Amino acid sequence: MNALTKENKQELIDKTESKDSKPQVRVYSPNVDVYETEDAILFRVEMPGVDETSVEITIEKDQLQLEGKFQISEEGRGQVRLAEYKEGNYFRRFTIGKAINSEKAVAKMKNGILELSLPKMEPKKTKIEIQRT
Amino acid sequence: MLFRILDPQTKANQFWRDFDRLNDELTRSILDSQFGSSSHFPPVNVYTKEDEALVTCLLPGMETDQIEINVKDNMLSLHGKKKAEELAEGTEVHRREIFHGEFHRTLELPFRVNQEQVSAKYSNGVLSIHLPRREEDKPKKVSISVG
Repeated sequence: MNALTKENKQELIDKTESKDSKPQVRVYSPNVDVYETEDAILFRVEMPGVDETSVEITIEKDQLQLEGKFQISEEGRGQVRLAEYKEGNYFRRFTIGKAINSEKAVAKMKNGILELSLPKMEPKKTKIEIQRT
Repeated sequence: MLFRILDPQTKANQFWRDFDRLNDELTRSILDSQFGSSSHFPPVNVYTKEDEALVTCLLPGMETDQIEINVKDNMLSLHGKKKAEELAEGTEVHRREIFHGEFHRTLELPFRVNQEQVSAKYSNGVLSIHLPRREEDKPKKVSISVG
Protein backbone atom coordinates (compact mmCIF):
# COMPACT_ATOMS: atom_id res chain seq x y z
CA MET A 1 0.00 0.00 0.00
CA ASN A 2 2.83 2.34 0.76
CA ALA A 3 4.82 1.54 -2.34
CA LEU A 4 4.20 4.98 -3.83
CA THR A 5 6.05 6.76 -1.08
CA LYS A 6 8.73 4.10 -1.12
CA GLU A 7 9.10 4.69 -4.84
CA ASN A 8 9.37 8.43 -4.30
CA LYS A 9 12.00 7.73 -1.70
CA GLN A 10 13.90 5.65 -4.24
CA GLU A 11 13.59 8.44 -6.80
CA LEU A 12 15.09 10.85 -4.29
CA ILE A 13 17.98 8.46 -3.86
CA ASP A 14 18.30 8.09 -7.65
CA LYS A 15 18.45 11.86 -8.08
CA THR A 16 21.28 12.20 -5.62
CA GLU A 17 23.39 9.69 -7.52
CA SER A 18 25.69 10.80 -10.30
CA LYS A 19 24.48 10.50 -13.87
CA ASP A 20 27.25 8.04 -14.69
CA SER A 21 26.15 5.49 -12.10
CA LYS A 22 24.36 2.41 -13.38
CA PRO A 23 20.60 2.21 -12.83
CA GLN A 24 19.94 0.24 -9.66
CA VAL A 25 17.13 -2.13 -8.82
CA ARG A 26 14.48 -0.37 -6.80
CA VAL A 27 14.36 -1.52 -3.21
CA TYR A 28 11.05 -1.08 -1.42
CA SER A 29 10.74 -1.24 2.34
CA PRO A 30 7.44 -3.09 2.83
CA ASN A 31 4.97 -2.31 5.61
CA VAL A 32 5.10 -4.82 8.42
CA ASP A 33 2.89 -5.76 11.38
CA VAL A 34 4.61 -7.61 14.22
CA TYR A 35 2.65 -9.42 16.91
CA GLU A 36 3.63 -11.64 19.77
CA THR A 37 1.55 -14.37 21.33
CA GLU A 38 2.44 -16.67 24.20
CA ASP A 39 3.99 -19.20 21.80
CA ALA A 40 5.19 -17.29 18.76
CA ILE A 41 6.24 -14.06 17.08
CA LEU A 42 4.09 -13.27 14.05
CA PHE A 43 5.00 -11.12 11.05
CA ARG A 44 2.65 -9.83 8.34
CA VAL A 45 4.51 -8.23 5.45
CA GLU A 46 2.94 -6.40 2.50
CA MET A 47 4.49 -7.70 -0.72
CA PRO A 48 1.98 -7.07 -3.51
CA GLY A 49 2.94 -8.54 -6.88
CA VAL A 50 5.28 -11.11 -5.36
CA ASP A 51 4.85 -14.77 -6.11
CA GLU A 52 5.52 -17.16 -3.21
CA THR A 53 8.38 -18.75 -5.18
CA SER A 54 10.33 -15.48 -5.21
CA VAL A 55 10.20 -14.86 -1.45
CA GLU A 56 13.32 -15.46 0.60
CA ILE A 57 13.28 -15.65 4.38
CA THR A 58 16.60 -15.95 6.17
CA ILE A 59 17.15 -16.33 9.90
CA GLU A 60 20.70 -16.10 11.15
CA LYS A 61 21.33 -15.83 14.87
CA ASP A 62 18.92 -13.07 15.90
CA GLN A 63 18.64 -11.51 12.43
CA LEU A 64 15.55 -12.04 10.33
CA GLN A 65 15.79 -10.99 6.70
CA LEU A 66 12.79 -10.83 4.37
CA GLU A 67 13.14 -10.44 0.61
CA GLY A 68 10.79 -10.66 -2.33
CA LYS A 69 11.13 -9.97 -6.05
CA PHE A 70 8.42 -7.98 -7.73
CA GLN A 71 8.43 -8.40 -11.49
CA ILE A 72 6.03 -6.82 -13.96
CA SER A 73 5.78 -8.05 -17.51
CA GLU A 74 4.77 -5.02 -19.54
CA GLU A 75 4.85 -6.97 -22.77
CA GLY A 76 1.56 -6.70 -24.64
CA ARG A 77 0.10 -4.26 -22.15
CA GLY A 78 0.26 -1.30 -24.48
CA GLN A 79 1.46 2.24 -24.01
CA VAL A 80 2.36 3.29 -20.47
CA ARG A 81 0.14 6.25 -19.52
CA LEU A 82 0.79 6.30 -15.80
CA ALA A 83 3.41 4.40 -13.79
CA GLU A 84 3.16 5.01 -10.06
CA TYR A 85 4.98 1.81 -9.21
CA LYS A 86 7.74 -0.12 -10.88
CA GLU A 87 9.24 -3.52 -10.38
CA GLY A 88 11.88 -4.01 -7.75
CA ASN A 89 12.81 -5.89 -4.63
CA TYR A 90 11.16 -5.80 -1.24
CA PHE A 91 13.65 -5.92 1.58
CA ARG A 92 13.37 -5.67 5.36
CA ARG A 93 15.57 -6.80 8.22
CA PHE A 94 14.71 -7.27 11.89
CA THR A 95 16.56 -8.13 15.06
CA ILE A 96 14.63 -10.65 17.10
CA GLY A 97 15.17 -10.17 20.79
CA LYS A 98 13.75 -13.53 21.83
CA ALA A 99 14.99 -17.08 21.28
CA ILE A 100 12.98 -18.67 18.49
CA ASN A 101 12.88 -22.12 16.97
CA SER A 102 13.66 -21.26 13.35
CA GLU A 103 13.28 -24.90 12.25
CA LYS A 104 9.59 -24.75 13.09
CA ALA A 105 8.96 -21.44 11.34
CA VAL A 106 5.89 -21.40 9.08
CA ALA A 107 5.37 -18.99 6.19
CA LYS A 108 2.62 -18.49 3.63
CA MET A 109 1.60 -15.91 1.06
CA LYS A 110 -1.98 -14.75 0.84
CA ASN A 111 -3.24 -11.93 -1.39
CA GLY A 112 0.15 -10.23 -1.50
CA ILE A 113 0.79 -10.54 2.24
CA LEU A 114 3.54 -12.73 3.64
CA GLU A 115 2.50 -14.32 6.93
CA LEU A 116 5.35 -15.67 9.00
CA SER A 117 5.14 -17.42 12.35
CA LEU A 118 8.28 -17.94 14.41
CA PRO A 119 7.61 -20.26 17.37
CA LYS A 120 9.40 -19.32 20.57
CA MET A 121 11.97 -21.69 21.95
CA GLU A 122 10.65 -23.66 24.88
CA PRO A 123 12.69 -22.88 27.99
CA LYS A 124 14.99 -25.74 28.91
CA LYS A 125 14.12 -27.31 32.23
CA THR A 126 17.02 -28.83 34.08
CA LYS A 127 16.56 -30.15 37.53
CA ILE A 128 19.69 -29.84 39.61
CA GLU A 129 20.12 -32.27 42.41
CA ILE A 130 21.64 -30.88 45.57
CA GLN A 131 24.44 -33.07 46.78
CA ARG A 132 24.41 -34.14 50.34
CA THR A 133 27.64 -33.73 52.17
CA MET B 1 26.70 -9.50 46.64
CA LEU B 2 24.96 -9.08 43.29
CA PHE B 3 26.91 -8.56 40.08
CA ARG B 4 25.32 -7.05 37.01
CA ILE B 5 26.96 -8.53 33.95
CA LEU B 6 27.01 -6.14 31.00
CA ASP B 7 27.03 -8.00 27.72
CA PRO B 8 28.44 -5.69 25.01
CA GLN B 9 26.67 -7.69 22.28
CA THR B 10 23.27 -7.16 23.91
CA LYS B 11 24.00 -3.46 24.25
CA ALA B 12 24.97 -3.24 20.57
CA ASN B 13 21.81 -5.11 19.51
CA GLN B 14 19.66 -2.78 21.55
CA PHE B 15 21.40 0.22 19.95
CA TRP B 16 20.74 -1.06 16.40
CA ARG B 17 17.13 -1.88 17.26
CA ASP B 18 16.60 1.67 18.49
CA PHE B 19 18.48 3.06 15.49
CA ASP B 20 16.32 1.07 13.02
CA ARG B 21 13.13 2.19 14.72
CA LEU B 22 14.12 5.87 14.78
CA ASN B 23 15.32 5.73 11.18
CA ASP B 24 12.01 4.18 10.09
CA GLU B 25 9.95 6.75 11.95
CA LEU B 26 12.01 9.64 10.59
CA THR B 27 11.81 8.41 6.99
CA ARG B 28 8.06 7.93 7.26
CA SER B 29 7.45 11.38 8.74
CA ILE B 30 9.62 13.08 6.08
CA LEU B 31 7.89 11.25 3.23
CA ASP B 32 4.46 11.96 4.65
CA SER B 33 5.22 15.66 5.00
CA GLN B 34 6.64 15.86 1.46
CA PHE B 35 4.24 13.70 -0.50
CA GLY B 36 1.30 13.29 1.82
CA SER B 37 0.36 9.94 3.23
CA SER B 38 -0.23 7.48 0.42
CA SER B 39 -1.99 5.03 2.67
CA HIS B 40 -5.41 6.04 1.36
CA PHE B 41 -4.13 6.29 -2.17
CA PRO B 42 -3.09 2.92 -3.61
CA PRO B 43 -0.54 3.21 -6.44
CA VAL B 44 -1.81 2.63 -9.96
CA ASN B 45 -0.36 1.91 -13.40
CA VAL B 46 -2.32 2.65 -16.56
CA TYR B 47 -1.59 1.14 -19.99
CA THR B 48 -3.55 1.78 -23.19
CA LYS B 49 -3.92 0.03 -26.51
CA GLU B 50 -6.05 1.01 -29.49
CA ASP B 51 -9.03 -1.01 -28.29
CA GLU B 52 -8.65 -1.16 -24.49
CA ALA B 53 -7.04 0.18 -21.34
CA LEU B 54 -5.46 -1.86 -18.57
CA VAL B 55 -5.35 -0.47 -15.04
CA THR B 56 -3.32 -2.27 -12.38
CA CYS B 57 -3.39 -1.33 -8.71
CA LEU B 58 -1.42 -2.53 -5.67
CA LEU B 59 -3.96 -3.60 -3.05
CA PRO B 60 -2.38 -6.20 -0.77
CA GLY B 61 -4.38 -8.05 1.85
CA MET B 62 -7.84 -7.53 0.35
CA GLU B 63 -10.70 -9.87 -0.36
CA THR B 64 -12.46 -9.42 -3.71
CA ASP B 65 -15.77 -8.55 -2.03
CA GLN B 66 -14.06 -5.60 -0.30
CA ILE B 67 -13.19 -3.91 -3.61
CA GLU B 68 -15.74 -1.86 -5.57
CA ILE B 69 -15.09 -0.88 -9.17
CA ASN B 70 -17.28 1.67 -10.96
CA VAL B 71 -17.01 2.79 -14.56
CA LYS B 72 -18.90 5.61 -16.21
CA ASP B 73 -17.94 6.97 -19.64
CA ASN B 74 -14.20 7.56 -19.27
CA MET B 75 -14.07 7.64 -15.47
CA LEU B 76 -12.93 4.71 -13.39
CA SER B 77 -13.35 4.75 -9.65
CA LEU B 78 -11.96 2.28 -7.12
CA HIS B 79 -13.27 2.10 -3.61
CA GLY B 80 -12.66 -0.33 -0.80
CA LYS B 81 -12.45 -0.92 2.88
CA LYS B 82 -9.70 -2.96 4.44
CA LYS B 83 -10.63 -4.48 7.76
CA ALA B 84 -8.18 -4.61 10.61
CA GLU B 85 -6.95 -8.07 11.45
CA GLU B 86 -8.66 -9.61 14.45
CA LEU B 87 -6.16 -10.50 17.12
CA ALA B 88 -6.49 -13.31 19.62
CA GLU B 89 -6.75 -12.35 23.26
CA GLY B 90 -3.38 -11.77 24.87
CA THR B 91 -1.65 -10.86 21.60
CA GLU B 92 0.92 -8.13 22.04
CA VAL B 93 1.30 -5.62 19.18
CA HIS B 94 4.92 -4.64 18.56
CA ARG B 95 4.55 -2.85 15.23
CA ARG B 96 1.56 -1.93 13.08
CA GLU B 97 2.37 -0.32 9.75
CA ILE B 98 -0.16 -1.97 7.44
CA PHE B 99 -3.00 0.38 6.57
CA HIS B 100 -6.57 -0.49 7.51
CA GLY B 101 -9.57 1.57 6.57
CA GLU B 102 -11.15 3.09 3.48
CA PHE B 103 -9.45 4.07 0.24
CA HIS B 104 -10.76 5.82 -2.84
CA ARG B 105 -9.22 6.48 -6.19
CA THR B 106 -10.65 8.00 -9.37
CA LEU B 107 -8.93 7.93 -12.75
CA GLU B 108 -9.73 9.58 -16.05
CA LEU B 109 -9.15 7.35 -19.06
CA PRO B 110 -8.31 8.67 -22.54
CA PHE B 111 -11.48 7.16 -24.04
CA ARG B 112 -15.01 6.09 -23.07
CA VAL B 113 -15.37 2.53 -21.86
CA ASN B 114 -17.79 -0.23 -22.80
CA GLN B 115 -19.12 -0.82 -19.29
CA GLU B 116 -20.67 -4.18 -20.15
CA GLN B 117 -17.34 -5.75 -21.03
CA VAL B 118 -15.13 -4.57 -18.17
CA SER B 119 -13.35 -7.45 -16.45
CA ALA B 120 -11.19 -7.53 -13.32
CA LYS B 121 -8.78 -10.01 -11.75
CA TYR B 122 -7.11 -10.01 -8.33
CA SER B 123 -3.89 -11.96 -7.90
CA ASN B 124 -1.00 -11.72 -5.38
CA GLY B 125 -2.44 -8.46 -4.04
CA VAL B 126 -2.55 -6.79 -7.46
CA LEU B 127 -5.86 -5.76 -9.04
CA SER B 128 -5.94 -5.76 -12.87
CA ILE B 129 -8.88 -4.20 -14.71
CA HIS B 130 -9.39 -4.55 -18.46
CA LEU B 131 -11.47 -1.71 -19.87
CA PRO B 132 -12.50 -2.17 -23.52
CA ARG B 133 -13.00 0.96 -25.57
CA ARG B 134 -16.51 1.81 -26.68
CA GLU B 135 -17.13 0.69 -30.26
CA GLU B 136 -18.22 4.13 -31.49
CA ASP B 137 -15.07 5.70 -30.02
CA LYS B 138 -12.66 3.35 -31.74
CA PRO B 139 -10.64 4.97 -34.49
CA LYS B 140 -12.10 4.19 -37.91
CA LYS B 141 -10.08 3.65 -40.99
CA VAL B 142 -11.26 5.56 -44.01
CA SER B 143 -10.47 4.02 -47.35
CA ILE B 144 -9.54 6.44 -50.07
CA SER B 145 -10.99 5.75 -53.46
CA VAL B 146 -8.95 6.44 -56.53
CA GLY B 147 -10.61 9.11 -58.61
